Amino acid sequence: MKTGRKLGVGLVSAALVMSVVGCGNNGNNGNNETNTASPGTDATKAPATSSSKAEKVKIIYSMWGSAEEGNTTQSVADKFNASQDRIQVEVQAIPWESYMTKLNTLATADQLPDTGMLKEDGVIQWSSQGMLNDVSSMYEGSDSKPLDSLAYKYEGKTVAYAAANEILLLYYNKDMFDKANVPYPPSSLDKAWTWDEFVETAKKLTNDKKGKHPGDDGFDSQSIVQYGASVENLPWQLETWTLSNGGGFYANDGTEVRVGEDASIEAIQKVADLYLKDHVAPLSVGQTDDGIQRTIIAGTVAMATNGAWNVGTSLNTAKEAGLNYGVAVLPYMKDKVTLNTGGANVVFSQSKHPEEAMEWLKWYNSEENNWALISSGIWMPTLEKWYKDETLTHKWLENPNFPPYEEYKSAVVDYAQSSAARPASWFYTNNTTEFNTLLGSVLGDVWTGKTTAKDAISKNLDALKAAHTGNQ
Amino acid sequence: METINRPQKRRSRIFSAEARVAYICLIPAFLGLVFLTYLPLVGVLGISLTNWTGLKNPEFIGFDNYVKLFTTDPYIKDSIIATIYFAILSVIGSMIYSLFIALLLNRKIPARGFFRAVFYVPYVLPAAAIYVGWSWLYEGNFGFFNYLLSELGLKKILFIADSSYVVPSLSLISVWLAGNLIVIFLAGLQNVPVVYHEAAEMDGANGWQRFRHITIPCMTPIIFYNLLMSLIANLQVVTPALSLTNGGPGNSSRFMTYLMYDQAFVNYKLGYACATTFIIFAILAAFTAILFKTSNKWIYNEGGDDK
Repeated sequence: MKTGRKLGVGLVSAALVMSVVGCGNNGNNGNNETNTASPGTDATKAPATSSSKAEKVKIIYSMWGSAEEGNTTQSVADKFNASQDRIQVEVQAIPWESYMTKLNTLATADQLPDTGMLKEDGVIQWSSQGMLNDVSSMYEGSDSKPLDSLAYKYEGKTVAYAAANEILLLYYNKDMFDKANVPYPPSSLDKAWTWDEFVETAKKLTNDKKGKHPGDDGFDSQSIVQYGASVENLPWQLETWTLSNGGGFYANDGTEVRVGEDASIEAIQKVADLYLKDHVAPLSVGQTDDGIQRTIIAGTVAMATNGAWNVGTSLNTAKEAGLNYGVAVLPYMKDKVTLNTGGANVVFSQSKHPEEAMEWLKWYNSEENNWALISSGIWMPTLEKWYKDETLTHKWLENPNFPPYEEYKSAVVDYAQSSAARPASWFYTNNTTEFNTLLGSVLGDVWTGKTTAKDAISKNLDALKAAHTGNQ
Repeated sequence: METINRPQKRRSRIFSAEARVAYICLIPAFLGLVFLTYLPLVGVLGISLTNWTGLKNPEFIGFDNYVKLFTTDPYIKDSIIATIYFAILSVIGSMIYSLFIALLLNRKIPARGFFRAVFYVPYVLPAAAIYVGWSWLYEGNFGFFNYLLSELGLKKILFIADSSYVVPSLSLISVWLAGNLIVIFLAGLQNVPVVYHEAAEMDGANGWQRFRHITIPCMTPIIFYNLLMSLIANLQVVTPALSLTNGGPGNSSRFMTYLMYDQAFVNYKLGYACATTFIIFAILAAFTAILFKTSNKWIYNEGGDDK
């Protein structure tokens, strides 16, 4: 018995030790915070011009990415650390898949970093729970501010700025257009195609095995070898078309659900009809985020809508392999609309050093520090000056990662600062994840034609409204 | 006197020594069960009675989560149906398929070792790779199966993009993945006493009769084990939804575990997700109980009834 008990005690204590060690590792930043929050530094919190002898304030910045990406960001932060003697930034990289889960855990344990990135749809939710600081003062007195459409607003206050800008575009395969002898889609907003022009062009670019187009005698929709167009139908991107048709997902202040209005329903049905009636689009059920790979890069579709990040994330590689693509503005139904989006940089309300955190964010968000992401075409800058000052725009775009300057400048840079660019709903609305998930599930049978957008949405409108209020 | 007493004494001493070792050996497993299974289970029950989101402190809300799940939740009903539908198709399919393959592999065929490996390989491949591969086969516009169909002049089938085909399509993958069942069946088949077969053959029984009246009864314990394992695994299905369909189209592949994952780690409604977990647990327990209850009716035990 004695040995047994000893062994048991040994095991239990081993388990305890392990769990303590485990906690210690997870709670790294917590420890750091208590270190820096010694009485001396706390006093220097506000405009810390005096007491230069005081220890540097330590700020933790969390980002999603691999350890390697974390190191890259840390080396950027080290430049900031060396440039002044008050703030010391430490970067914490967390893999994308577990990023939000990890932050949730840290929040529960009251051990959040001071500042960090936050997924688009998490910003308003976290604000509504009092987890984020007001950052309206961040750009006070600055020469260049981020574009207006890139501020996350909760109850009228700016609670975050996007770390990057993204808009939705129309990508197209130039070779397919040349072959069919059809003019390219317009890259300038004032020449944007109407929806009908878009569908007509798509028909000319859709071929069945015998080379016939939709509408021709003997066209066989079962043996299409090349499709003319694909409009991304991930729920959040569908908002573009409902807005363009005079409807929307929500009222402007995000309080009311408008997806049940006829204009919104009609817009969604038009997107579905590209496959069902017009026979110009491949089937997509709007569940996976790989639209450009499935269409433009697979070489099966002539035009496809999706976000600007695709230039950097996938189209560059495809270009090296011989893809000849171009960028254009989206077609429109009634109003010209594209959506702005971009993950946020926030200051957590648990931070003891919000001022310093904002100072770091402002420095870090100046585009020179994210140059790798921007010059590869994954991110677009957030500060206005890059869009307004042509010398900066040249600096940004004149590298082989981008389509020809004039084309990209007009279809992306000018488009992004035009009146057509509106913030995606997660910039001002809570519970967008739940709403979009439910909408995606409601529309599942619409894409295959088993039901209509009208029936599907009307039947589930109450549930959609409940999802919007978070009371699903 | 002593000679009578001694062995008994020794036996008890041996017994207690054995017991001691047994208890010592059981401690790690016991600790694991208590701290990693039972206590968390109680914790899950506790959290399921709160509105915990991970950010704010949880508030006790009684059975509100359960009431919501059964009244207003837009997913749970479809989710339960999809899960049970998938599990039944997959379990029946993979049992028949793997028993059939095991019977073939148990015969003296050329390159038997090679074929055994061939059928086992899918089971050890990484899940993500498997599902990407199958997604190319199933793709609705240009996928391989649809290429074949259109070459034959048939109408395209949308497979995983169609709410009525998605579950059978995913079940087919799960049947194809049943390599582990084949291995266990093979082991069982090799334990069927040859003497029975020889005796039956002498009595003039044909192949089917021997299979029906000798192989199957001798295999019932193995069949039961495979049935149980496969049922539990398939009721907990989540990978195809995560890697291929994201629960769609509609809710047709929103399996319960996927639903729970979505509630907990996408929407951060942890209390709500815990309530869902308990419903999954109840369904699993019910199916397992039914299987055990009926088992003594059809399982043949060589050693007689063990009650």
